Amino acid sequence: MIRAGARYRLLALFVLPALVVYVAFSVYPLISSVVLSFFDSDGPSGSIFIGLDNYVHLFVDPYTSERFWNALLNSAEFFGIHLLVEVPIGLLMAALLTSNTIRRSRGVYRTLLFIPATLSVVIVGFVWRLIINPLFGVVKFPLLGDAATALPTISLMSVWQYVGIPMIFLYTALIAIPDDILEASRIDGARAWQQFWRIKFPLILPQFGLIAILTYIWTFNGFDIVYALNGSAPGPNYATDILGTLFYRTFFGSSGQVADLDLGATIASVIFFIILIVTAAYFVVLQRRLKTYEL
Amino acid sequence: MRSKLAPFAAVVVTAIGISLAGCSAGSSDSGDTVTITFGNWRTEDAALWEENVIPAFEESHPGIKVVYQPTDTNDYNAAIQSQIESGTGPDVIMCRPFDVNRAWITDGYFDNLKGLTSIANFTPTALAAWQGADGDPYCVPIASVLAGFYYNTAIFDELGLEVPTTMDEFTAVLKTIKDDGKYLPLALGSADGWQLSYNVLDSIGPNYWKGEDGRLGLIDGTKKMTDPDFVAAFQAFADLKPYLPEGYQSITYEDQMQLFTLGKAAIMADGSWDVTAASATGLELSVFAPPAVESGGQRYLQEMPDQGVGLNAESKNKAAATEFLEWLGSTDFQKIYVDKVPGFFSMGTEPVEYTNPLAQKFADLKVDALLTPRLQLDRLSAGSPPLDDNTWAVLQTILNDGVSAEDATNKLQTDLDSWYVPAG
Repeated sequence: MIRAGARYRLLALFVLPALVVYVAFSVYPLISSVVLSFFDSDGPSGSIFIGLDNYVHLFVDPYTSERFWNALLNSAEFFGIHLLVEVPIGLLMAALLTSNTIRRSRGVYRTLLFIPATLSVVIVGFVWRLIINPLFGVVKFPLLGDAATALPTISLMSVWQYVGIPMIFLYTALIAIPDDILEASRIDGARAWQQFWRIKFPLILPQFGLIAILTYIWTFNGFDIVYALNGSAPGPNYATDILGTLFYRTFFGSSGQVADLDLGATIASVIFFIILIVTAAYFVVLQRRLKTYEL
Repeated sequence: MRSKLAPFAAVVVTAIGISLAGCSAGSSDSGDTVTITFGNWRTEDAALWEENVIPAFEESHPGIKVVYQPTDTNDYNAAIQSQIESGTGPDVIMCRPFDVNRAWITDGYFDNLKGLTSIANFTPTALAAWQGADGDPYCVPIASVLAGFYYNTAIFDELGLEVPTTMDEFTAVLKTIKDDGKYLPLALGSADGWQLSYNVLDSIGPNYWKGEDGRLGLIDGTKKMTDPDFVAAFQAFADLKPYLPEGYQSITYEDQMQLFTLGKAAIMADGSWDVTAASATGLELSVFAPPAVESGGQRYLQEMPDQGVGLNAESKNKAAATEFLEWLGSTDFQKIYVDKVPGFFSMGTEPVEYTNPLAQKFADLKVDALLTPRLQLDRLSAGSPPLDDNTWAVLQTILNDGVSAEDATNKLQTDLDSWYVPAG
């Protein structure tokens, strides 16, 4: 028998390799990026501690804040469209997959619906760009060129690509429901529609919280599809600029913009806190209240 | 005892293994030859450099090998910055013109090149795009690009059109093509903001703001974007709107090239770097210069310093890298380069000939024209908001949302005033 103290020491030892990698490549860069946001390192006299000045500049400076609030609103819209379109469609697909109407070809549909999620974002963006090209595509209207439709269009491309993810989440939750419960409800006289909303839906409800928070994290960290389609200064007139592209443009510079590391780190920190606060609030407030049923 | 230490030993061994693997990827030069790396954004020219230019250098300089190391142009600045900051940058680095490079010089990326013999082959104007704050050269100028209007000569013949020499004639030509209805007058879309600025405004604009007069005036603060000359230039840009194809808001730079090379559009505003792409389909085509404002008036042409090459201050092979830079500054190199990479023009004082006929036509546009680089890139884009990116977005709003030339120039000047202190 190993004593408790030795046991913990051994545990720590086994956790160590993963911990070292995690600290070196995740925790340390994150902290140093937040630290960088409190400094001004572009000046002639080297790096100076300036407290929250970078944040004040980001939120208040007429030009910089205009870009920031615009990107924040666009990110919120990007998230909203994902949540409102992707989740219901994912639910519909999962419900159809588990219904008895397509039992035989279930595997084929499941694979087909999930394939876009495995494609490269660049390919998805390129293919859709060709499909909606006003010169030879299916619509004459310049969807990507009009400031009002550009961001919804890009969001829907992304929804098309990733709809398989909530679908798989809900699908696995649905097939985990034991048959005897469903059978009992059938004997009690529930029809398919009633059975879905009264029995299956409450049982998979906790999944929605998880999907919503994951969608939130993914979309507020979003960058790739916008960059692939519209580059680092996403037009028209910044209508598709989200936090990820704003950060990239600021931190790395674009063709005509000189890189500003401190301000870039500030934006990265703000994105981090936006995600951290909401995610923490979700887990503290909501997650524990969601009812889970023992099956 | 052994059992307790075993996991610890495993961790240590693994860690050593990982660090050794990291080391072995380091320097691997053999004794005789030195290998230098050349970082650049010209992915398109990789074959031309690797098959023509670099072999010529290696032949005359035995013992030095050059590795061409391109990064896509959109990622180039970010890639070079992170490479240099982490000490893994290439030995010689292609330099962006003006403000981005000036920031790189200030950050100590480059060695001063005033000791380089071949720097004498260039005029101060040619060197200006890569000067440090001290006025010294930091990059050897490689090439400049020109911009103008490509036109389909078959369509011009069919409709009996003449090459326009004034802006009024230009508008008349566009109107004739539009009224005829068979072809699109102008292959131009607003999806890519940068090319509205570089290929259109900076092409027709200098005729209004009088080239260097206007550009340097903005820099030293004696001129404003709201001056009538600049407003007129933006107005001339806005006046092109009726001649754009339907759905132009979504038409990208690549789409334009397709419209033109498929013979669907008569005229395309583009830079000289696209001569190979534009003639790829065997179209009968030529180029004309941005027309003068009035008949007999002075003509201005955009000549933009595009590529220079500098020496990484952290390079471990400086002797070999310096030899390479000396050669890049020589006429030997320029002759090979402009011949093999058509659409780019030598910046040396010694004249060279262009074998590509379209490149020669572009070079001919320089005759009788006063040359000027793009308006936005020198000093005016070193702060936030940079005039460069700002112009892209503003030009999009002119075409897409009908913003007036007055409002557009007013916004640009206001944003510029928010940070820019005139150098004069």
